[in-house]
Amino acid sequence: MIKTKKIVFMSLLVSQALILNFIESGIPMPFITPGAKLGLANIITVTCLYFFQFKEILMIIILRLILSTFFAGSLSGLIYSASGAILSFFTMYILKKIASDKISIIGISTAGAVFHNIGQILAASFVMKNLYITLYLPVLTLAGIGTGFFVGLTSNFLVKYLKNIFPKFKSKDFG
Amino acid sequence: MKKLDFIIIVVLIIISFIPQLIFAVTSHGRNSKLYAEITVKGSVYKKIQLQGDLNQSVIVTTELGTNKVQIRNGKVSITEADCPDKICIKAGEISKSGEILVCLPHKLIVEIKGENEKDIDGLSY
Repeated sequence: MIKTKKIVFMSLLVSQALILNFIESGIPMPFITPGAKLGLANIITVTCLYFFQFKEILMIIILRLILSTFFAGSLSGLIYSASGAILSFFTMYILKKIASDKISIIGISTAGAVFHNIGQILAASFVMKNLYITLYLPVLTLAGIGTGFFVGLTSNFLVKYLKNIFPKFKSKDFG
Repeated sequence: MKKLDFIIIVVLIIISFIPQLIFAVTSHGRNSKLYAEITVKGSVYKKIQLQGDLNQSVIVTTELGTNKVQIRNGKVSITEADCPDKICIKAGEISKSGEILVCLPHKLIVEIKGENEKDIDGLSY
């Protein structure tokens, strides 16, 4: 797989994540905690898990975070999306590494969505200097499980079809 | 959907309740640090720690009138007052941080406060 095709694929995924952020900002979400989001961009993260290596997915996520901060116009949202995205990525990567045969994509994405919420809550309690915000965790977790299920379902379809176009990249192709 | 998926979901739900658990355990020790503060005409008259089984009466007499504040079993109430409406007695008993008893004619306020007052009461953006 040549480098150019890989770069194009990664860029497409980043832009897809940005579009998802844009769409998600148009969906009204009960503002239980500040900056809480549906996390639709996790569809991209989960899909990447089945195509790329750790470094590459991390780059896609960081690019997505930086660009979406520029597009959102305010830096304050960055700490929430960053902590949620990074924590959920690490969790999903570890989960996939240790138990990819025993757990389906839906389980991975659900865990990722919940840890996305946990990351956002931790960021919120740090910003507000108030640990009581963590008490919202059960409510958000229930919503996160629902979102995670949907994200996993979508990623499942995506991975199935994309596998025909972009076979699995080996890390020596990168760089 | 595989079997481990469900186990993971259940584990996640259990994890989400950990903060509730932690706060339930730590605020149990917090409640013993409550104290009742009696204020007359804006200045503090007396502070009394609400220990578990403390039974105490405080008689507050000013030129405006007399109130008897009783503390029993961690609950505070005004049991006697020579004000005309006796609203302070009808208010009953208070026990939680933030609750107050007021006798307006006598300018008397009994408020329950906690040692740590850093909790946010409200938030808006």
